[in-house]
Amino acid sequence: MSARPEKVDAVVVGAGAAGSLYAARLAQAGKSVVVLEAGPPWEMSDLVSSQIWARRLKWGGPPVEQTSQPRTFGHNSNMGSGYGGAALHHFGTWPRMPADAFRLKSLHGRGLDWPFDYDELRPWYDRIQAEVGISGDAAAEPWRPPGAPYPMPGLQQFAQGRILARGFERLGLPVAPLPAAITTIEFKGRPPCQYDGWCDAGCPIHALANPLATHLLQARDAGAELRPHSTVLALLPGEHERAAGVEYADRQGTRIRQEADLVVLAAAVVQNPRILLNSRGPRWEAGAGNRSGMVGRYLMLDGAGAVYGMFSESTENHLGVSAGQLMHRALYGEREGAPFGSYQWQIGWAMKPNDIFGVAISRPDLFGQPLHDFIRRGSRHLANMVAMVEQTADPANLVELGTGTDRFGTPLPRIVHSFGRDTTSLWQYCAEEGQRVMNAAGAKETWAGRMNGGHPAGGTIMGNDPGTSVADSNGRLHEIPNVVVAGSGLHPATGGASPTFTLLAVAERSADHVIRNWAELSA
Amino acid sequence: MNRPIHPSRRGMLAGGAALGLLPFLVNGCTQEMTPGDARHRGVPLRTLGANEAAILARLGEVLLPGADEAGIVHFVDHHLSVPPEQTLLMIRYMDVPPPFGDFYRAGLAALDRYSRTAHTLGFPDLAAESAQQVVGALGRQQPEGWRGPPSQLLYFVTRSDAVDVVYGTQEGFARLGLPYMPHIEPEQAW
Repeated sequence: MSARPEKVDAVVVGAGAAGSLYAARLAQAGKSVVVLEAGPPWEMSDLVSSQIWARRLKWGGPPVEQTSQPRTFGHNSNMGSGYGGAALHHFGTWPRMPADAFRLKSLHGRGLDWPFDYDELRPWYDRIQAEVGISGDAAAEPWRPPGAPYPMPGLQQFAQGRILARGFERLGLPVAPLPAAITTIEFKGRPPCQYDGWCDAGCPIHALANPLATHLLQARDAGAELRPHSTVLALLPGEHERAAGVEYADRQGTRIRQEADLVVLAAAVVQNPRILLNSRGPRWEAGAGNRSGMVGRYLMLDGAGAVYGMFSESTENHLGVSAGQLMHRALYGEREGAPFGSYQWQIGWAMKPNDIFGVAISRPDLFGQPLHDFIRRGSRHLANMVAMVEQTADPANLVELGTGTDRFGTPLPRIVHSFGRDTTSLWQYCAEEGQRVMNAAGAKETWAGRMNGGHPAGGTIMGNDPGTSVADSNGRLHEIPNVVVAGSGLHPATGGASPTFTLLAVAERSADHVIRNWAELSA
Repeated sequence: MNRPIHPSRRGMLAGGAALGLLPFLVNGCTQEMTPGDARHRGVPLRTLGANEAAILARLGEVLLPGADEAGIVHFVDHHLSVPPEQTLLMIRYMDVPPPFGDFYRAGLAALDRYSRTAHTLGFPDLAAESAQQVVGALGRQQPEGWRGPPSQLLYFVTRSDAVDVVYGTQEGFARLGLPYMPHIEPEQAW
């Protein structure tokens, strides 16, 4: 039997970074807000320090079909399930996107332009930065676009960072403390980081700014109602081209109609298109907001690959944070002979013996006693850094509906994705550059891993033209004015930069627009 | 949600037992023990058959000596018995559609078939050198005649399982002389 709770001002789909921010701002503005989260209601006490237990924070929802072989996405390890979403286990790498990336098509003839430029987003970056806190050294980042200086000093450096900085320095490449949403001093009551490298398992001490420590907490305190285990299936059509709310299923499978004046779709890059495409009917024959056929298109991933070096000296690689200690960025055209694209090095990740960022996985060819020997040596002497290389927008990379269904009978999403020549060439360039850095730093042995996918973006891109984009520059669907999309799915380009800071700045800007224009939205 | 774990709790938590316990059913009663203890006590498996367990034990031992003793079979078996969203195995990250038991059963069967074809013996019965040849072959590329899920994926996930049980716990860190430094100590290692 279908249930029908009281209508609210706003229903927010997804309790990740962007959804939590929207819920906080709307509730703080006095709106009645319900947050529907498909996963469990994680609490700080669930953030157990273990790379094995960390896996339960990753995607645990229905499977996602994929067509590419080898699979390029790494969907389940990139995404999150439950309160906090992927941001609950994100590493807190918070660079600003390069200014050129906002005008990629205009300046470089590649990919797409954003509907606004960096200067438009700059004050919203500054606002989020001041509220949440970022550690770093702006003066040491020649690649950083203009903005307020970081409110906290940079991350503490350990042997691994110092060794790799030596390599960059010898090649004439600058490094700076990695800009991180991690406390280095007490900040607004949050204690400083302890550098024990458990960020991937979730930070329970509020040092790393996950949504449980920031916006979801604010949302709850401002009166937003959080409903875990609530899977949104489709938008409900309303009157006058509007949506009436959403239909969702609770843990028992009961279908519930939640009516609202405003729907915020913040279910991330794959599930947002899935919900829109599953919202079919006489009004929305191709899915909600999809007259242009653009819903799901322009899925992008950063190519992510590690480079390793074994050193004779101790690297102290068990100390630090998961994101790394230092950053180096290369902007468009800075490297003579390099393939097109922007990329970032995250230098000196803290490592554990096991799991996908651990010591053992760096040499997947080893087994038996040589694997024991390698883990013992690598736990003391291995250094690593990870390149995140840009993928530009391509309409052939997309999220569509698959052939299978979930337990509610709703079609699963299917990913169609491949890395183009630019991205694979840029990663190959980085793999070679990274080994040059390792050698310059004095490594006895260097090697590169393989490129995987990370930092998903696109699928519900924003733009000024309803024929070529899904949402306007404020995240509102072109075709359904009381539905806004939030998250990196809106981004038409990534700049090869970790997306969380940018998606929060965009959400902050859009939420402000929604609140200031509430009368029109709710009319 | 709003209660941060105070940093000073680390010292208190680090003193806990946390011996890598898992709930196992023994004579109709649930008892907590490590997978290694469960192996020694012969606790019945929930999902894997005896031959599958023997293949996995040997595979784990070839991939990382000590994995059998550390309880890789009971570790994997336990996590194949829980709902997919609760499993803590590496297979969860590989975008393989659940149920994950299907992947392990098919992979272990393919390994045993390949062993019989290439060496005339089932994988658990292979001599050490032959077993190493087989594991090396399935990790490098899919061997000719292999019939099952991708051999390199089987190698990757079971190798990860072996590393998890040997080095992914507090005891494993201690073996390496590494400080564990938990904010919140796992009440169960997995």
